[in-house]
Amino acid sequence: MLSRILLDSLTRRLSRKALSVVAVWIGLTLVLALLSLSVDVGDKMNLELRSFGANITVEPLASAIPVDVGGHRLAAEAVPSYLDEAELLKLKAITFFWRNNILGVAPRIRAAGQAKGQDVDLVGVWFDQPVATGSEPLVTGARQVYTHWAVQGAWPTRAEECLVGSAAARRLALAPGDTLALAVGREQLTLKVTGILTSGDKDDGSIIAPLSAVQGLVHAPGKVSSADVSALTTPDNKLAEKYRQDPKALTPDEYDRWYCTPYPGAVAKQVQELIPGSAARVVRRVSETQGMVFSRTKGLIVLLAALTFVVCSLSVTGILTAAVLERRPEMALLQAIGARRADVLVLFLAEMAILGIAGGVLAALTGPLLGRWLVSLVFGSTAELHLAVVLVAPFLGLGLAWAGGLWPVWQAVNQDAAQVLHGN
Amino acid sequence: MVTTQAISVQAVSKIYPGGVHALADVSLEVRQGEWIAIMGPSGSGKTTLLSILNGLDKPTSGQIHVLGTDTHGFGPDDWAVFRRENIGLVFQQFHLIPYLTAVENVMLAQYYHSMPVREQALAALERVQLAGRAHHLPSQLSGGEQQRVCIARALINDPKVVLADEPTGNLDEENEARVLDVFRSLHAEGKTLVVVTHDPEIGCAGERIVALSHGKVSKDTRTAEGERLLSARAVTGEVREHLR
Repeated sequence: MLSRILLDSLTRRLSRKALSVVAVWIGLTLVLALLSLSVDVGDKMNLELRSFGANITVEPLASAIPVDVGGHRLAAEAVPSYLDEAELLKLKAITFFWRNNILGVAPRIRAAGQAKGQDVDLVGVWFDQPVATGSEPLVTGARQVYTHWAVQGAWPTRAEECLVGSAAARRLALAPGDTLALAVGREQLTLKVTGILTSGDKDDGSIIAPLSAVQGLVHAPGKVSSADVSALTTPDNKLAEKYRQDPKALTPDEYDRWYCTPYPGAVAKQVQELIPGSAARVVRRVSETQGMVFSRTKGLIVLLAALTFVVCSLSVTGILTAAVLERRPEMALLQAIGARRADVLVLFLAEMAILGIAGGVLAALTGPLLGRWLVSLVFGSTAELHLAVVLVAPFLGLGLAWAGGLWPVWQAVNQDAAQVLHGN
Repeated sequence: MVTTQAISVQAVSKIYPGGVHALADVSLEVRQGEWIAIMGPSGSGKTTLLSILNGLDKPTSGQIHVLGTDTHGFGPDDWAVFRRENIGLVFQQFHLIPYLTAVENVMLAQYYHSMPVREQALAALERVQLAGRAHHLPSQLSGGEQQRVCIARALINDPKVVLADEPTGNLDEENEARVLDVFRSLHAEGKTLVVVTHDPEIGCAGERIVALSHGKVSKDTRTAEGERLLSARAVTGEVREHLR
């Protein structure tokens, strides 16, 4: 009997029913598009925020631990120590859990040298280094990791070319196209300056040369002083903060959860475990800024989605109020012949559920598409279709219809049935 | 305790918002199996009294007992359950669900009472001589036929009390006679009938006429039919006494 009433009710006044479905559909399309955007915003913004630089630095353990000798603290530079360059390739190896989160690696080797009779800092880096990843080819190095580097001239493409930091270029009176004779100890090297680098940090005072060239000067082939790693991470939350405060305070379950989440600290710890004799630390300035921007942006989008949901539920309320008002005599009659308020409520909520789910299913088709378009519009890249967003759509449609319809139906079932039946 | 009162109204008043006194200190007793008519001019409070008796409206003050149950403190859901178990309602405007057929409209009352049984619903329609129109929509039925569907719906759960509000108000003479016949048969079966009407013929068909005026009972008289039944009952009582 209930299904008969429902079916008949749904097939009458089709225009009004269609209007309800369209209201849910349009509203949820917007909500789902925003939710899709909020899901994608993390990865997309992380990619955009790579301009802040690497968020993890890997150093030899010996450089990271202060060494006291006879009450004198030795600076790391005083005790040169290196990592194996080949070990860095493990970061993209299939065996590393976070390999897909590693966006780029920029190893460095430092040396103190002389040019034009003046002391200079020499930094060896990868500029564009192809790395075999097992799945897809990856080219990484300074050009990919230090996206904030501005080069006037051209990036080096050959082993005998280099960049000169803007401050060093002024000091040494160098310009693109000049030749630079470098000396490190007894070793000599002549490089052609292809560009002037402006980084905004201490690299502005350095000569940036190919890694292999500097390794040769310091007699450390296949060695690096440190590596900057750009990784896709998720912002720290209370759990990550708890680990930072005291790793031992985490329960085993919490630790597992922390370890399997790409918090900057968790990724750094696993990088450190991967590379023997290394110490990986999070560049807090970068990761916290990324986290803050990401959290606020995501929060804003989720807030917009929630507000859109509320606004849509209000419009659904308007449509359903009119529909319910029309059917007040029917509701009064049901109560007169023995239906409790809950019975009437169930009948009308079931009808609204069908309309809401129908709108939700339609929105499941259009919402993610709109979300993809928004992602391409905002970030200029394509977004994945998120199955979770599609699956949640009918439930959101149900929630939207109920949120919009509950109040008018509740008002109607609490009406003065006697007055309604007398046509007042 | 076995009560012989089907309905007991004690000092009931109803004041609508704005201070309109629809009922003022009305008291009334209706015996089980009795058929009373409530009559009076428009605005006298007839319909308000009936709405209070069926629980769709609440009195401002006073007490109502129906079938020995004190309804004081009943909420809308308590009344809904009580109605479906004990009271059948007949409306002047019929109030049939337009998209359900005649038999489905009858079954709807069964649905909220226990479970819909089509054969029983058809039997109820047969009783009001509408078996042939069972599968018609209300829009395909005449006013008289719709009213009989409404009566079949009121009777389907075998209520002890039937409350009817102007049941013949929208009917022609022929249909009025048919409705009256149904009420007579209900009365003969021992149902308690309270019928609000303007129609003297309907009023006189019952045992008592309670006249309302300005929200008060102005007259409570026994009809000729009521006197006849009273005598018959008295004779029956004497015979029983004699036989004992």
